[in-house]
Amino acid sequence: MKKIINHPSRPERPTMWRSMEEFQNTPEFEETLQREFPAGAAVYDESGLSKRDFLKLMGASMALAGVGLTGCRRPPSFLVPLTQGVEWTVPGKFLYYATAMPTRLGAIPLIATTSDGRPTKVEGNPLHPYSNGGTDVFAQASVLDLYDPNRLKAIKREGASTDAASFDTLIGEIRQRGEGLAVLADSANSPSRDRLRMELKVAFPGMIWAEYEPLATGESTAAVVAAFGDGTSVRPNFEAADVILALDSDFLDSTEAGPSFTKAFYQRRKPEQEGRGMNRLYVVENHYTSTGGLADHRLRVRACDIGAFLAAVSVQVASLTGNSALSSAASAFPAGTTTFDEVWITECAKDLASASGRALVLVGREQPAPVQALGYALNGALGSLGTTLLGYNTGAAPKVATIEDLAAALSSNSVQTLIILGGNPVYNAPANLKFAELLAAMPTSIHLSLYEDETSKMCKWAVPAAHYLETWGDTRTLDGTHTSIQPMILPLWNGVSQLDILSQLLGRPRSEGPEIVRETFQQRVGSTGTALDLAWNEYVRTGFLAESAFPAAALSLNTGAITAGIAAYQPSPADGAEVVFLKSSSVDDGRYANNSWLQETPDFVTKLTWDNAALVSPADAAELGIKDGDMVEIVAGDTRLECAALIAPGHADKSVSISLGYGRKDVSALMQNVGFDAYPLRTVATPRFRKGVSVKATRGPKYKLARPQEHQSMEGRDLFREGTLDRFKKNPTFALNMGMDAHLPPEISIYNNPLFQPEQMAKEQWAMTVDLNVCNGCNACLVACQAENNVPVVGKDQVIRGRDMAWIRIDRYFASPESSLENPEMVAQMITCQHCENAPCETVCPVNATVHSEDGLNLMAYNRCIGTRYCANNCPWKVRRFNYFDYNQRPIDKLYFGPLAPKGMADSLKMSKNPNVTVRMRGVMEKCTFCIQRIEEAKIARTVKAGASDKSKVPVAPFKTACQQACPSEAIVFGDENNPDRLVSKLRKDPRGFTMLKYVNARPRITYLARIKNPNPAMPGADLVGNINTPDHHGESHGEAPHGAIDPHGSPAPAAHH
Amino acid sequence: MANFFPKWINWLPLKLTICIAVIVTTLVAGIWYYFTPKYTRVGYEPDQPVPFSHVIHVEQLGMDCRYCHSFVEVASHSNVPTTATCIGCHGEGKIKYDSPKLTAVVESWKTGRPVQWARIHQVPDYAYFNHAVHVNRGVSCYSCHGDVSAMPVVYQHEPQSMAWCLECHRAPENHLRPPEEIYNMKWKPVAGETQREIGMKFKQEWDVNPPVTCGGCHR
Repeated sequence: MKKIINHPSRPERPTMWRSMEEFQNTPEFEETLQREFPAGAAVYDESGLSKRDFLKLMGASMALAGVGLTGCRRPPSFLVPLTQGVEWTVPGKFLYYATAMPTRLGAIPLIATTSDGRPTKVEGNPLHPYSNGGTDVFAQASVLDLYDPNRLKAIKREGASTDAASFDTLIGEIRQRGEGLAVLADSANSPSRDRLRMELKVAFPGMIWAEYEPLATGESTAAVVAAFGDGTSVRPNFEAADVILALDSDFLDSTEAGPSFTKAFYQRRKPEQEGRGMNRLYVVENHYTSTGGLADHRLRVRACDIGAFLAAVSVQVASLTGNSALSSAASAFPAGTTTFDEVWITECAKDLASASGRALVLVGREQPAPVQALGYALNGALGSLGTTLLGYNTGAAPKVATIEDLAAALSSNSVQTLIILGGNPVYNAPANLKFAELLAAMPTSIHLSLYEDETSKMCKWAVPAAHYLETWGDTRTLDGTHTSIQPMILPLWNGVSQLDILSQLLGRPRSEGPEIVRETFQQRVGSTGTALDLAWNEYVRTGFLAESAFPAAALSLNTGAITAGIAAYQPSPADGAEVVFLKSSSVDDGRYANNSWLQETPDFVTKLTWDNAALVSPADAAELGIKDGDMVEIVAGDTRLECAALIAPGHADKSVSISLGYGRKDVSALMQNVGFDAYPLRTVATPRFRKGVSVKATRGPKYKLARPQEHQSMEGRDLFREGTLDRFKKNPTFALNMGMDAHLPPEISIYNNPLFQPEQMAKEQWAMTVDLNVCNGCNACLVACQAENNVPVVGKDQVIRGRDMAWIRIDRYFASPESSLENPEMVAQMITCQHCENAPCETVCPVNATVHSEDGLNLMAYNRCIGTRYCANNCPWKVRRFNYFDYNQRPIDKLYFGPLAPKGMADSLKMSKNPNVTVRMRGVMEKCTFCIQRIEEAKIARTVKAGASDKSKVPVAPFKTACQQACPSEAIVFGDENNPDRLVSKLRKDPRGFTMLKYVNARPRITYLARIKNPNPAMPGADLVGNINTPDHHGESHGEAPHGAIDPHGSPAPAAHH
Repeated sequence: MANFFPKWINWLPLKLTICIAVIVTTLVAGIWYYFTPKYTRVGYEPDQPVPFSHVIHVEQLGMDCRYCHSFVEVASHSNVPTTATCIGCHGEGKIKYDSPKLTAVVESWKTGRPVQWARIHQVPDYAYFNHAVHVNRGVSCYSCHGDVSAMPVVYQHEPQSMAWCLECHRAPENHLRPPEEIYNMKWKPVAGETQREIGMKFKQEWDVNPPVTCGGCHR
């Protein structure tokens, strides 16, 4: 009997949607859904050659070529051993080294995996006190940067290659001249660089040392200095925070503060936790961030109104707590004209005040300093200082000049030599400084850079920089822990580090090893001889110096300075819309623009790849009369930016957000025609937002945006499930029986397959759980998977055709029970192959290329696959990916070249591949394997250890899949579900757990744990929070259709729950 | 009498003959090539840069396989020795340093450029073979490489095709031997015992259960 599956119907107006087309149910969207594959997926190329034509042609050419040619002999290959063995090196075995990737505010501690001397993958360093073993998307993708064939490979003088000797001569001349020296550096948090800088200051007393990071301007430091004095830093203590108010603060973004920053937040987010209850998160922001997606209550407020909003909250809290200091600081805040939701503010303030000592207010680091300082005053009034907001003594750091100071010095002609260490100021310096013109006038300018970028081209000298995986170095994580950076490989293209250049400037001989870093280390630990050797070895081995974090310091609020700062604060009075500058989730501030993995990683909110776009609210879009991809013109002062627009649900009105870092010109083929450059709109005074801009629709042609999100749709089924804390407490298994799942008849098999015997099943049964409560969709798993599994990139054009290859996709839904676009919830769900026990893909494969293993994996044998794509067709989750082209062998702009066109990948890219995973060719299907290479390695390790004994029966040692290892919020858990000692076996039975599409009875091996929201019942719209699923079947509209004879759910069996 | 058959029929026998001849030739040629050891390269014996003789080193001098293939017990890849390993015995002033047969090794030692040995056994890129797991669990070098100790020049002894792999993975008892005899190329079961009996004993004692699913080798 054929089982008839009744799918739930798609609601007229969805409460959960992924794209504007789906929300509006347009005819185009309907057509997309009805297609098996996205439009054009079966079309061979631009000429419109269909698959049928293609087969005809291929048949003819096969006949011509004849079969005789296939008999050619295999070419000879060679075994090339080392001439001398290298310590610890075993050919074919991975070696792991502790290192770290410096970031803007700190560093990400890492363990680098090297395979025969090549770093191929990085993981977080779980030993490090400021890490939980997670990483972020940029750390994962940094391996590709190392091998990027577009890197600067030789020292260039005015565009022509030159040798190291002439550069040495130049340094000698600079040393001789002695004066007129200026250095502009990026932030590295490196103790060694600081030490060399101090020595340079002595050697060149007139030297100007400036530091510039486009996304770490001085505002946050200025606020801390005003509130708490110099030499202090503050960090939130989420462990103690019950109620959190985040204002324009994307604090869950692990690139900002390191993955361990939010560990405690996620611990307190668990609804089951013992002791302290689940925390509550209020988020106020102008555009959706990944943090906003996790909020219990979220309010759209323009970035320029955050200050006024904070003042309004402060006034309420001041009156509730009777804190006069806060009251005077808040009332000093210049009154704005914008009105806010009064009830929201009052109730939020009440909640904060009632949680005094357990409340925390976070203000975005790029907000103006007086606003952030007011935030500290509010924290003071809430009793947060020393409880939820902890102070640390960083010591008085010597002052560095800002880029404005440097620009002033450059224009006064007091500088003859400018050395730019990293960064790309010509592209990303504040527009009003006109940095390019100042640089062009420099007699001597040197740029140390990974790429020959805008700044390198403008400088007289361009010097290839060493990647952090190629060089010795040191850094400090956000908590101050001294962290070592060690090279995994010799510089591929003669790159030099910043430390090398600085020490050369000091007239020291070029060091080959860690001398510079070791000297800094010696000064820090103060020991000598064997003790120093031991300490140094430990430092390099573990990757950090124990107990070197900043010491805790009591915070005392300087209310006078805060109030004075606020009183002096004059926000721009300009009216009109604001434009907000965002950090790109793919290219950061533009530094990763040449990284194709990142370019193809969809932004976690807009799902946009290979581009950025101006985000406008649905109301603004309606007013402008634009749709996704229409061109708009943003005019600020005398600067105009024409760019594509994207409608962003949950975006504030009269506000436009745009990511920085795109629109690079003439740097590399990869960066060409990718996005729009928003830096020209950004000035010294407007680092985060610029007021008084006008936005108007231009009648230009529609811009093609590549968004993989639209390719697949899941039609109004309860795929993502959430509920409130109250609901969870009343009925912990509420998620299990949502929607259709409440009515599933028992699965009875009328045929006992004699081939299917329990004893044929392996001891291990692999399974995964994903906790939707803590997944914010940060993309780290996606890029980790790409690095681990040699997943190729396909380019914008192919993404538009729906041929993206990423094995993991993160579905982002906007959801609102009222189907409102104004402020819907945003949820993220990581989807990959579900390894169904009854896998629909396996039954349709004509050549048995996809089969099941006895340990519960849905396998994919590439060498068997003939590319019928039936499996992808039959996959309910649409997680299978097909190699339409030889993505590994052809550059993405040459995919359509004929069979005789040159093939092959750059040598350096070959080095980046994981040797344990097959590099797939054209014409085969692929998908998530649950990291079978790691599973097999673990099983082999167990068997090898057992040797001539039956110890091969012991459980496989625990290991992690690539996505699990990268996840900074520990949302992904993988393991053997048959082993009761493994976390996964417990979580698979978790009350919050549910599997997707249970009614098709595919029995997925991935369990999702429902998201729990903790709304404040007094807040406006609280009844809508955590309520995005289709209404519970029970108690509603249930009386009419009795179960039994005419069962609406396609089964003659009576439903089990009555 | 009218012509029952159209004129082109006259050519049909010829056409058929040619067709059948082509098909038969292709089939014969195909089977000749693909169904014989020539395709699996059994007997492939390329010229090596150094005429290294396993007979001298193993059979006459009694060296263990693991002296040179030192990581076979711990790694997936059984390494070819580094030049330094050769030079350990054949260094300046030691054995046969000046022999013209060792030119490639001495050259490599002097210049630091590795010796390029011709590869004989090659598993396809999509198949992942692990030496360690085999030699630690009672499978001798002999089972896959033949009696290398008797080869003056190494050649491929076994087809190493997938069917050949599976033969053993389905019935490992035909190859399992005592752990101390793994590197003994001349080992034979003692009189009165058969390979199968010994193999079955070890298979049960050690819980030998080799994978026959795709994922065991293909990742």
